[in-house]
Amino acid sequence: MRYLTRPNACRAAATAAALLLGLALLPPLAGAAGIGGKAAAAESVTSASWGVTASVTSMTFTTATDQTSNATNTGTVALTAESFSVQVSTPTRGAPTFKVFECTSAWVANRCAGGAGTQVGGTLARGTTTTVTAAVALNPAAVLYLQVEPTGVIASTTVTITTLVTAPTQVRAAVKTNQ
Amino acid sequence: MSNHRHTPIKERRYGRIAVAGLVTASVGLLATAGVYAGLSATATGAESVTSGTLNLTLTNDTGSVGFSNFTPKMAPGDTDNVYVNLNNTGTLASAAGMTLAVTGTPANALTNGSVAGEGLTVTATQCSVAWTVATGVCSGTQTPILANTQVSALATATALSNIPALVASTGQVAHVQFSLGLVATETSTNGVAPASTVQGLTANLTYTFTELQRTGIATNQ
Repeated sequence: MRYLTRPNACRAAATAAALLLGLALLPPLAGAAGIGGKAAAAESVTSASWGVTASVTSMTFTTATDQTSNATNTGTVALTAESFSVQVSTPTRGAPTFKVFECTSAWVANRCAGGAGTQVGGTLARGTTTTVTAAVALNPAAVLYLQVEPTGVIASTTVTITTLVTAPTQVRAAVKTNQ
Repeated sequence: MSNHRHTPIKERRYGRIAVAGLVTASVGLLATAGVYAGLSATATGAESVTSGTLNLTLTNDTGSVGFSNFTPKMAPGDTDNVYVNLNNTGTLASAAGMTLAVTGTPANALTNGSVAGEGLTVTATQCSVAWTVATGVCSGTQTPILANTQVSALATATALSNIPALVASTGQVAHVQFSLGLVATETSTNGVAPASTVQGLTANLTYTFTELQRTGIATNQ
């Protein structure tokens, strides 16, 4: 059996006094704030994603032969334009130049539906990095067919393509929904 | 040197003394109470009171789905307008002012402000009559009550402005258009979004409206 010693009794008394004092000093919070009305509702939303993936991102040219790459809209929203950062290496010899063409159908024998396709940007020189933009509407999963056409290649030259899609300028026009 | 340790025998003695003291005090109090009971008198009066209520209801405006799931994937610049009625259906008028808090789960860049300048935004506009939902047109007087605000800034309750229809008396209705938008200014490279992105995320938003009762009235009668 435990007995209450004097120090313990003093501590108990002090604790009780402090608790009583605290209760007495508490302001009547609920009464002061009054009553409130509250209403709540929920809504959920999912954001789109945007981006283009190129099937071939690095092309090595040793002769003046065209090469192709397919740029696919891998996002969930339609695009109005796609940009490509094209880096041309510096070959050991010569001064090759390159042009990028786009086509909305696959290239056949270096021809776009029997034509030359549409040039994207200007002529790209050795040792440069240039961003070119194709103003082509591209739905999700749709493909833009690119062809890189070299001129004056006499030594191995590498062309690297990086796809870039920037929002909101290259994403479809904003839609306003009333519901 | 003082000794605070006591033997059990001494402590039992203290206990007996305390019990004896309590018994004596109780007897004294009982005797005193008997004397006062003989001298008391009683008077009674009756008063009845009914407390008021403050109810805020949220319903869909005519023809609107109200706050719900926005099915399409939201692209930058898109706007989802929904139309709701806020109605004070209690018996007390509300105080001037109302707050709105919007919280999002799970916490991500759409709602927590982790990508600077990007994420969901909310705008609220009141119409003096019901909105024409199909066109989003207010044929009455249009009053902004919340300027375009990042959802991340609405995590704590924010005061709405200019909501007179809910202030004066009970039974008043506010017809409010809520516009949810997405701001995004980021570039995806080789089909990959930046490390910190608002793309491809889902947010479940909870809108909580709170109003307070009118100021208490002191009546002398």
